[in-house]
Amino acid sequence: MANLTSDQAQQLSDNFFDLSVAITDFRIANWEKLSLEENKELGETRYKLLKSGEDILALATTLIMDEVADSLGKINTITADIKGTIKTLRTIQKGLDVAATLVALGIAIIAKDPQRIGKSIKSVFDAWTAPSV
Amino acid sequence: MKNHLLERSVVLTFITFPLFISSCINLKTVGDYSAISIESIRNFEEIDYSFLQHCLDRCTDEAIQTFEIKRAQDCSCELYQEADSVTQVFYNSIEGYFQGLGNLSQNELTQYSSNALIGTLTADELGPVKIEERTASAFSSLSNTLLRASTDFYRRKKIVEYIEQANEPIQILLEKFELIISNNLKKELRFKRERLYAYYTDMKMNRTLTSDYEKGKATADYYQALEAIQRKEMELDVFGKSLAEIAKGHQVLYENRNKLSVKNLQELLQGYSSNVKGLISEFNKLND
Repeated sequence: MANLTSDQAQQLSDNFFDLSVAITDFRIANWEKLSLEENKELGETRYKLLKSGEDILALATTLIMDEVADSLGKINTITADIKGTIKTLRTIQKGLDVAATLVALGIAIIAKDPQRIGKSIKSVFDAWTAPSV
Repeated sequence: MKNHLLERSVVLTFITFPLFISSCINLKTVGDYSAISIESIRNFEEIDYSFLQHCLDRCTDEAIQTFEIKRAQDCSCELYQEADSVTQVFYNSIEGYFQGLGNLSQNELTQYSSNALIGTLTADELGPVKIEERTASAFSSLSNTLLRASTDFYRRKKIVEYIEQANEPIQILLEKFELIISNNLKKELRFKRERLYAYYTDMKMNRTLTSDYEKGKATADYYQALEAIQRKEMELDVFGKSLAEIAKGHQVLYENRNKLSVKNLQELLQGYSSNVKGLISEFNKLND
């Protein structure tokens, strides 16, 4: 047997609702003609129909999930990709900062200044290990 | 020599400036559209109703009807909780996408600072190498502009790619999210309304109420409860409409993805954005 689709479930829910309304209207129109027992039974049937209709509607919502699994997967992949691009663009700032420290290191090496070389290496390391903003 | 370099850098900056500005305009359009879409989508969190809430309300209604007093409410709402989880997945995925698109189109993303480089080039401790601060700033400004232009070009290219890939799935997700909210969840309220009607008509037909005061009070209670439900229905409707407008806006972006620099894209999207803005304000009024 084929599985129930969300559209079919919604249609079923509508049918249960319409039936329940019809029973309520019938009950009101024939109130005096109905025995107490008949009245009670119709009242209970009406509530059961309402309850089933509501449950089927909640079920219809869960069924949608299976129908859009592919689209959900695609969007989540694209979103992850966008985040990656944003990260790449943010890393450029880090690159600029590292470049600045490398310039200073280069100059220190040319100047053959061991103290400044040591300081510059530390700056390069700090800039490199600093988290991207 | 330094002056000559400075002049050339100023000329180059002026040449690249229009490129920079043109990319600003179209990225801004995408950014504005994303921002208004996010604002509208986040109204989902303001909706004071859910499938689970509906189930719990139903239990309360049943208990009132049968005059059942228990120490704790005994409800079986697993199916409704599952429906809420599904709705939440839709919300998270759609919000996540627009958040990403918005962040990527923000100009702040590629506003790089070369202060560190200027500092290094002009530092006194550099010894024999001396570069005037004015010249270092001019180079920095030029490199920033070129960097910005190239990264903005890259961003634009990526945004076009994402809009192209995302259009089909996002249209489906927005359509289904709208269906869940303005059809399924709203229709649950229709059942609540019918249960309310049945409860009060039974009370009337059974002639349970005798005094005029009781009758008047019951009628007032009924219409008050009915109004609260209708207000909630309108709220869900408005939220659903805004999802439809967001979908239309994305379709426009998709259809014009290769003409993102065209100024009239801004005008094209303006209509959808202002419709969404109007619906946000309508939603907020209903939610007050």
